[in-house]
Amino acid sequence: MSAAASALTVRRLRKSFGTVVAVDEVSLDAAPGEFLSLLGPSGCGKSTLLRMIAGLVEPDAGQVVLAGEDITRLAVHRRNLGLVFQSYALFPHMTVFENVAFGLRRRSVPAAELGPRVERMLELVRLGPLGARHPRELSGGQQQRVALARALVTEPRVLLLDEPLSNLDALLRDEMRVELKRLQERLRTTMIFVTHDQAEALILSDRVVVMEAGRVEQVGTPEEVYRRPATAFVARFLGRANFLAGTVAESGASGTVVALDGGGLSVVAGPRPDLVLGQSVRVAIRQEAIRLEPAGSEPGRPNHFAATVVFHAFAGQAHHYVVQLADGRELEIAAPGAARPLARGAATRIAWSPDDVILLPAGGAGPGEPR
Amino acid sequence: MRAGHGWWLLAPALLLLLVAFVVPVGMMVPTSVRPYVPLVGITGGFTARHYVKLLTDSYYLEIIGRTLALGLTVTCSTLVVGYPLAFFLARTRSRWRNWLTILVVFPLMLNLVVRTFGWIALLAQNGLVNQALQALGMVDGPVKLLFNFAGLLIGLTHIFLPFMVLVLIGAIQNIPRDVEDAARVLGASWGSAFLRITLPLSAPGILSGSILVFVLTISALVTPRLLGGPTYQVMSTLIYDEFLQRLNWPAGSAQSLLLTGMVLALIYFSSRLARRTGARA
Repeated sequence: MSAAASALTVRRLRKSFGTVVAVDEVSLDAAPGEFLSLLGPSGCGKSTLLRMIAGLVEPDAGQVVLAGEDITRLAVHRRNLGLVFQSYALFPHMTVFENVAFGLRRRSVPAAELGPRVERMLELVRLGPLGARHPRELSGGQQQRVALARALVTEPRVLLLDEPLSNLDALLRDEMRVELKRLQERLRTTMIFVTHDQAEALILSDRVVVMEAGRVEQVGTPEEVYRRPATAFVARFLGRANFLAGTVAESGASGTVVALDGGGLSVVAGPRPDLVLGQSVRVAIRQEAIRLEPAGSEPGRPNHFAATVVFHAFAGQAHHYVVQLADGRELEIAAPGAARPLARGAATRIAWSPDDVILLPAGGAGPGEPR
Repeated sequence: MRAGHGWWLLAPALLLLLVAFVVPVGMMVPTSVRPYVPLVGITGGFTARHYVKLLTDSYYLEIIGRTLALGLTVTCSTLVVGYPLAFFLARTRSRWRNWLTILVVFPLMLNLVVRTFGWIALLAQNGLVNQALQALGMVDGPVKLLFNFAGLLIGLTHIFLPFMVLVLIGAIQNIPRDVEDAARVLGASWGSAFLRITLPLSAPGILSGSILVFVLTISALVTPRLLGGPTYQVMSTLIYDEFLQRLNWPAGSAQSLLLTGMVLALIYFSSRLARRTGARA
């Protein structure tokens, strides 16, 4: 993507606090109208990256380019960006209306235009009649909607969101997710969304940037980062998976066979020409990719194993199982909650498709990693 | 726990207030309306002349006015000097921060008389300040900085600055950084964000710091006595002289009650103001 076509470009941005490198040579591109998530555990540098884009933190090196204009050294208040905080950060001494009007007043928008614009934005976030209230008279969800309206009313070139849903309770969070996504689709505002919640990132984003220890681990669509994680970290951080160590025994156009360490079992995966024979790999299989089949059915096929249920728990949407294979190793399985449960001690067969097998070169780093 | 139980926690403080404040002040009320005859002392009967004299005699009115003016100017000067200092201390991430805060409080650890004598040495006709001013050619002759308003203003500002700074640090620290950052991202320059967000949100601290310094200033005794000398009077020194030099307890009681009334009125009106601004914030 060329810099001119992207709404926001970050080039080799770097920031350290003392001896701790918070953001290490991060480069990103966000297309106009894109919803881009920065996903990672706390302390991975995602918030610092967002604050550097906003201008609240000064980068040590690198560039922030907004629609072709280098804004790295531009003062915060001249950037025309929007920022929504986890803490809402509303102005407690002003009414909802004045909170939303704040940015327009700083831009000297004439009064005749200001009122209607604020009202329209309050309607859009479904707060129409609450303009005269003070923030402390609103619920958490309403406060965050005021914060959204306040950030969007100035029509920012890019809207930055710093864990905006993390302070809300679970039900409200789901509701706000939908609302945020619909708002974004309606306004087509480019949004950079920081979160540590992988489900949130997958649901909302056009693309996800997975970060760890100040670096970008992987950039891709939600499907890509979930199904084809580039590193063990990404595989582990996005959803739960079973990790098995092994070595590449066969590699061809039809697929890859990995012999698991410490036993006669082997796993078949899709073709991976980048792996060589004898290479140590880690096999990752998602909990929900493993199917439970009736005991004794079709023995001998690849990725089919006899197993015994050693643990079962019902979690509403899913049955959680731990099963033991013939060689003693245990695997975790999440089966659809609607299925009939298997009792503890029951003999069963488990199976998964070669397409669902994730192969990661041992040592953590995947191919093509910018390390 | 039932709501009523909590009141017992106030009992020790209320008892202390009763014994050390309400009872002595109450005892002054009858004294303040007794006639006083020089060389004889307090006599029986009733008179309002101590109050009338206090509120009509230009000598007393000047002292009352001076006391209030001093309270107001000391409050303003501690605010002007203290706010930037408090803002810095509340916001800095320097590892020296705790030491700097201790430095602000440090003057409180020295004896008040010692500190005040220090100012006499500095502010005297041939003191350090006057020598410096003359050496720099800023003034022709020595400037009178002692036994007048300027001397009291300088001394009291120095002594009460820590109180103002400590109250303001707390108030400024309570303002979330995110709120200021939000204002700046929305297009407010640093100055604009300060005036529209930080300053209004620190108003409760400004108010309570101001009340504290004002009340301490108009009731201060040692510093006005030492820096004002025997003739430049404020209400507290006047009361002291009335009781201990002239032995005119009825007049002293009337003056004490007026000063107490002024302080209570100030606290009442400012807490109403706080409630009004608090309702908005």
